Amino acid sequence: MMYEHFDNAVKGIKEKLNNDPEGINARKKYVLELSRLGRKLYSKDETIAWCGVTAPFDLLSAMGVTSCFVEFVGAMLASTQTAGYFFEEAEDSGFATDSCAYHRAVMGAVLKNAMPKPDFIIGTSSPCTAGLAIVENFAHQYKKDFFVLNVPQNYTKDAIKFLAAQVEEMTLFVSDHTQRPLSMEKLGMALENFNRSSQLLKDIYDLAKTKPSPVDNRLLRDFGVVMPLLMGTKAGVDICQAFKDELNHRIATGWHHVSKEKTRLMWIQNRIQHPFPMDEMLDDLGAKIVVDELNNVTWEPMDPDNPFESIAKRMISIPFSMDTSERIRLMQNLAQDYQIDGAINPCHWGCRQGTGARGLISKGMQDINVPVLNLEIDCVDSRNLSKGQIETRVEAFMEMLS
Amino acid sequence: MNKKIGFTCAYTPVPLIEAAGFSPYRVFPDTKAPDQAGHLLHDNLCPHVKKVLDRALADDLPELEGMVFINSCDTMRRLADAWKQARPDDKIILIDLPSGTDILSLDFLSKEYERLSTTLFKWNNETSSPEIISGRIKEKISLWNIVADLVKKTEEKMSQDFFPGYASGLQQIINTAATESTDHALAMAQNKLEPEQPAKPGLSPVFVFGNLLFDPKVYDLFEDWNMHVTGTDFCTSSRFVTHVDTGLDDNIFRSLAISYLKQTPCARTMDTAMPGSIAQRIVERAKKSNAKGVIGFTLKFCDPYLARVPMIRQALQKESIPFLMLEGDCTTGSMGQQQTRIEAFTEMLEV
Ligand code: SF4
Ligand code: SF4
Repeated sequence: MMYEHFDNAVKGIKEKLNNDPEGINARKKYVLELSRLGRKLYSKDETIAWCGVTAPFDLLSAMGVTSCFVEFVGAMLASTQTAGYFFEEAEDSGFATDSCAYHRAVMGAVLKNAMPKPDFIIGTSSPCTAGLAIVENFAHQYKKDFFVLNVPQNYTKDAIKFLAAQVEEMTLFVSDHTQRPLSMEKLGMALENFNRSSQLLKDIYDLAKTKPSPVDNRLLRDFGVVMPLLMGTKAGVDICQAFKDELNHRIATGWHHVSKEKTRLMWIQNRIQHPFPMDEMLDDLGAKIVVDELNNVTWEPMDPDNPFESIAKRMISIPFSMDTSERIRLMQNLAQDYQIDGAINPCHWGCRQGTGARGLISKGMQDINVPVLNLEIDCVDSRNLSKGQIETRVEAFMEMLS
Repeated sequence: MNKKIGFTCAYTPVPLIEAAGFSPYRVFPDTKAPDQAGHLLHDNLCPHVKKVLDRALADDLPELEGMVFINSCDTMRRLADAWKQARPDDKIILIDLPSGTDILSLDFLSKEYERLSTTLFKWNNETSSPEIISGRIKEKISLWNIVADLVKKTEEKMSQDFFPGYASGLQQIINTAATESTDHALAMAQNKLEPEQPAKPGLSPVFVFGNLLFDPKVYDLFEDWNMHVTGTDFCTSSRFVTHVDTGLDDNIFRSLAISYLKQTPCARTMDTAMPGSIAQRIVERAKKSNAKGVIGFTLKFCDPYLARVPMIRQALQKESIPFLMLEGDCTTGSMGQQQTRIEAFTEMLEV
C-alpha cells in the first residue's frame, strides 16, 4: 500500500514538472525526491536502515544504504491523516499516550506491519531519549541488529573523539551487514555533495533574510530537519540549487514586495504535521514565518581527510544535541539576523527534549525583546485538537505584535 | 562537617564525592515547595525532575558546594539547564553518560568520571597527585563496597523470607548513603543486618521495579497491603549502591565506569546486542527473588521507562508472571490511591 502511495506521488509530481519544464518548482522537486526515498524504503530490494534523526545519512548513502529517521514516517502518517489507526494500535500495546506522537504513530505502524522491514537499525541519542527508546523497540520487534551513536552534549575534544570513533565503528557494522566495505572515494563524493548542499543552504538562508523575505509560510517548512536525508547525494545538491534559484527569482521579479509581510516570525522546532491550517491562518493575518529554528547551518564544512571527526562535530553542533543555553544563543542569533517580530513555539506535547525547555526558551527570547507564543498543541496527534482555541491565541498574538 | 555536593542520578559515584572531601547529598523529589518548575520548563516532564527543580526554586535545599548532573535522559538535561537559571551561583558539572556498554562507551565514561573527580577536587581547592587521588578514591570505594555487599546480602535474605520492616529498613540505609555518608550508612547497615523480628509467612511475594521509590514508609505500606517485597530495581534502591570492582582495571576511573555501566543498568542504558534486554533482566530478577508477581511503578512522563513497559509486559506474560503497572508521582500520598489495585493484585497472587 505504501509503495503504491509513494509511487503514485512520484508519477504525479513528475508529470506536473514535465508540464512546466521552464518552472523552478523547488518544493515540488524536493517532495519528488522525498517520495522517491519513500518508494525506495518500501521497494523490498534495497538495504534499509531505520535510524535516529541525527544519523549520518550522507555516510550511509555512500555505503549504499537507504536510510531514514523513523520520525519521518510518523510525520507522513500524520500529514496523510492515517496516524489515528496506528496511535490506537500502539496505545493498545501499552505505549503511553503522553509519549511523543511521532513515535507512537510509527510504533503503531511497526506493530501493524505497515513499515518496511529494515536490514539493521541505527539509533542516535540526539535529539531525544524517546527516539532512542523507540528504535530499541524497533530492533526488539524486528529482531534486527542495532547500533547506537551516543552524541555527547559537551563539545570537548574527548567527546568529539568518542563520537568520531563510534561513527567509524558504525561503518564496520554497516559493512558487516551489506558485505560491502566503505569506499573512501564514494564517501569523498558524498561529503563533497554535503558541502555543496551546505553552502547552498547558507545561500538560501541568507536570501530568506531579505526584508521583505522571499519565502512564504510553506516554502522552507521543516527543510533543515529533512534535507540531511538527501544532502550526501547529487539530487540533494540539485534541490538546494532549485530553492536558491526560486528565492533569487522571487527577488528578481519583486514577488517578495507584493507578498504580505506585516509580521516576521520564527517557528521553533518542527511544524505541525497534521493538516492544521496554520500557514493559511498566518497568511490571512499577514504574518510570515521567515525562519524555522532548524533551518540553520551549525557545522563547519566536512573535511574529507577527517571524515569521521567532521561528521561527529556536525552531529554535536545540532541545537538538540547541545544544552539549552547554547540552543537559545543560536535562536537569538537567528532572531537578530532575520529581524523577526516574534516567535511561535508549538510545544509538541510529548517532547521532553524540546518542549521541556519551553520556559527557558521564552525567557531567552524575552531577553532580546522577542515575544514568544507558546501553543500547547500536539504536532502529530490531532485527536484532542482544540482548533478554535489555537486560532484565538494566534490572532491575539499577531494583534499584540502589530 | 564536610560541605555537600548535590546530585540526582544513580550513575553519580558517591566515592568520588567523598574522596574529594565532600558529603553526598542526593536531592530527592521530596518537598512541599510550590509547583513552579512547569513555568521554567514545561509540565510534561516527570515529577522527579519537576520536584527537584521546585526545591531549587524555593531554596528547599541544604547548603550545597556544587551540583553534579548526569545526562541520563532529556528531562535530566533540562533540569541541568534550568538549574543554571534557578541557582545561577551554584557550581555545576554535567557528565555525559553513554547509553551502551561497549568498549568505546566505557573508555569515554571513564574519562568523564575522571573529569568529575578533577572538578570535585578543584571545587575543594585541593591539588593532590594522581596517585594520592586514586588512593583516596580506592579507600572510599572499599567502604562503599562494604555497604553495597551488606545491602545485597539483605536483599538476598528478603528474597528468601519475609521479615517485617526489613524492606523499609533497607531503604533507610540506602537513603543514608545517598544523603549523608557511606560511614553513616555502614553503621546503620551493621545494626540492621539482622532482622529485628522473626520471619513470617503468608504475604504475597512481589518483585517491584521502576524509576524512583525512595520513601521507606512506602515499603511499610506495602506490608500493610499484604505484600512481601522480595526484591527491588529502582534507581533509588539497591541499584544505587553499586559494588565497584577495583580489580577490573589499573585505572580506577575505568573500574568505576565498567562497574556503573554494567551493573547499574536502568531503562536508559542498553545492551545493543540484546535490544529490550531490560525485560529479560526483570524476568530473571523476579524469578531469582522467588516473586510470584511483579509490580512496576513509573513516574508519569518518564520516557526511558514508559517506552520499555510494553517489552517488559510481553516478557512477563511469556513466563506467566502476573504483572501490575502503576503510574504516579513521587508522593507517598499518591501511593495511597493505588492501595485497592495493589491489594487486589496480591490477593490474586494468593489464589
Ligand atoms: S518531537 Fe521531541 S520527542 Fe518527538 S521526536 Fe522530536 S525531539 Fe524527539
Ligand atoms: S529516568 Fe525517568 S524519572 Fe528519571 S529523570 Fe529521567 S524521566 Fe525522570
